[in-house]
Amino acid sequence: MDWIVTTRWIAAAGLVLGLIGILMRLGDIMNRPFKKDLSRERGRAGRGILYAFTLGMAPWEKESTRLHWFLYIRGILFHVGIFTAFGVLFASPWIDQFHQALKVVLVLVTGAGALAGFAGIAIRLHGANERALSIPDDYFSVFVCSLFITGAFVSLLAPAALPFFYLVTAFMGAYIPLSKIRHCVYFFYSKFFFGAHFGHRGVIGQSRSKYAE
Amino acid sequence: MDERFTAERFQLTPEKMAVGLEVLRKRMNRQLKASLEVCVRCGLCAESCHYYVSNPKPEHVPAFRAEQLRKIYRRLEDPLGKSAPGWIAAADLDQEMVEMLLLTAYGSCTMCGRCVINCPMGVDTRLIMRTARAMLTAMDMTPEGLKATVNVHLETGNNMGVTTEDFVETVEWMEEELQAELDDPSVKIPLDKKGARVVYTLNPREVKYFPYLLQAAAKIFNAAGENWTLSTESWDATNYALFNGDDAAAKKLAQNLERAVNHLRADVLVMAECGHGYRSQRWEGENWVGHGYPFRVMSFVELQAQYIYEKRFELDPTVNSQRVTFHDPCNQARNGGIVDEPRYVLRHVCTDFVEMTPHGVENYCCGGGGGMLSMTDFAKERMAAAKAKADQIAATGAKIVATSCHNCLDQLDEIKRHYKLDVKIQNLSELTSAAIVWKKQ
Repeated sequence: MDWIVTTRWIAAAGLVLGLIGILMRLGDIMNRPFKKDLSRERGRAGRGILYAFTLGMAPWEKESTRLHWFLYIRGILFHVGIFTAFGVLFASPWIDQFHQALKVVLVLVTGAGALAGFAGIAIRLHGANERALSIPDDYFSVFVCSLFITGAFVSLLAPAALPFFYLVTAFMGAYIPLSKIRHCVYFFYSKFFFGAHFGHRGVIGQSRSKYAE
Repeated sequence: MDERFTAERFQLTPEKMAVGLEVLRKRMNRQLKASLEVCVRCGLCAESCHYYVSNPKPEHVPAFRAEQLRKIYRRLEDPLGKSAPGWIAAADLDQEMVEMLLLTAYGSCTMCGRCVINCPMGVDTRLIMRTARAMLTAMDMTPEGLKATVNVHLETGNNMGVTTEDFVETVEWMEEELQAELDDPSVKIPLDKKGARVVYTLNPREVKYFPYLLQAAAKIFNAAGENWTLSTESWDATNYALFNGDDAAAKKLAQNLERAVNHLRADVLVMAECGHGYRSQRWEGENWVGHGYPFRVMSFVELQAQYIYEKRFELDPTVNSQRVTFHDPCNQARNGGIVDEPRYVLRHVCTDFVEMTPHGVENYCCGGGGGMLSMTDFAKERMAAAKAKADQIAATGAKIVATSCHNCLDQLDEIKRHYKLDVKIQNLSELTSAAIVWKKQ
């Protein structure tokens, strides 16, 4: 078995470990009680949920993201980079057969994503608030994810780097359930609860009331 | 050690620690767990907090506050929190942490929810802070003023210990005053009227210090031809257990009003212009008591808008000709969706209404929420954090700041004096009442 195939299996093992950990996390949260809201609705929870996962995520919708649009866009680039790197990972056995135009797009997206990731570490180190908030795992998790995107980026340019990409993947996969990277699972819960709560109360995502000007 | 927490009851014992951690375990539902897990500590929430806007330091970032409880949570529930606590900043609930929780959950957070609305991840920091408060309350570490307010309410039926005799006398006095003012003896303030459509509640401050607000409400009800009443059985709109996180106490207080409305067989419970009282009974009450009410709960602000929409009385907005701005109480707007109604009212009862920036759901908390006014220990920080609101008010050029919450009213009045603002603070119903063109019934 050559080095590429061996490391591919190691990556698969890491991802399986990660998946098991994530499933355990999911099992844990699903075993907790769900607090059903007994109050009479003023708005529709469904519309709030829809808003939370769509327009509510637009950079102009919240004061926080309007004020920090640069940081927010950086975060989006970073996450798009991660998702793209996963795409590259799963298609990597055929990396030599990628169409040149697709390759250029993937290189640009992963390159920007990796840069955005490493910039995130610099921002955490530089900003007083970010420094005060950050815990060691924050730096390390962002570093590992940035390395993962870098692995995809480098592999696209030089497929000989695939073993590096696979080894980083293996480590990241196994580390996900233990680290802050697992927010990728809880994100869907928190946004759902946010949308349902404020939608039910008629605060977000509702049509105009008869009293609106 | 902060000198405010040197009393013996603030000292952590193994028994207290067990009680506090048990509260955290019991409250760990999906909503709380998701909020504890999902924060990525990006810090984008910083400017959403009026404490931070007024005094920008890392300790005032909402995520920093929530992080204090997260540290305990990670120590309790995270595998790495047990084996490598330093790596994920997990911490034990020790004396130092108790003090940190007191300073963050009680001392510098009004649970206004502005950070919740602004969090890109949907973290409910308000829920996290209330959980921390609940833990401290279970450990008998609630700041004295708030503790006393809840206890007085539980013991006497209202948070100021007003006797039924005093309550009835005040109501009768206000009825006479209103009849004299309007020269109309048909005007009534009904007490315990069975079968009334509406039961109206009051903030005890109205009975004790500002009875003219009851007079204003009564004028509106009478002008609208409403079939309404007050209840002597239970009339206090407030529920400070919302702020100390004690759900058992909150349930008892919510049940008091529920029973009174049921005994009078009313269709609607109308909450006085009291932000947290409205939120408690309208949004939290049914969850505390564990079932839906057989009646509707609404805010007096909503009812005023409805009366005006239905043209139940004639209005002359020129009597309120000075520039008016509106302060949205967090518990009505951000936490209850009442944003358009007060503006609809103001467009009809005054001639020059201007908005603050920001306003509505994104309005800054005045600093009087979260039971802050009852916790005099934190008064200095409260007034410092109110600078954001003072600047907002000053920028409008308004002469009147209207609001629809008693805690906001008090806090805005203090802000006015502290920051030397040339404004008058008024309840919305005062402006509505003044604008009513009275027609003898």
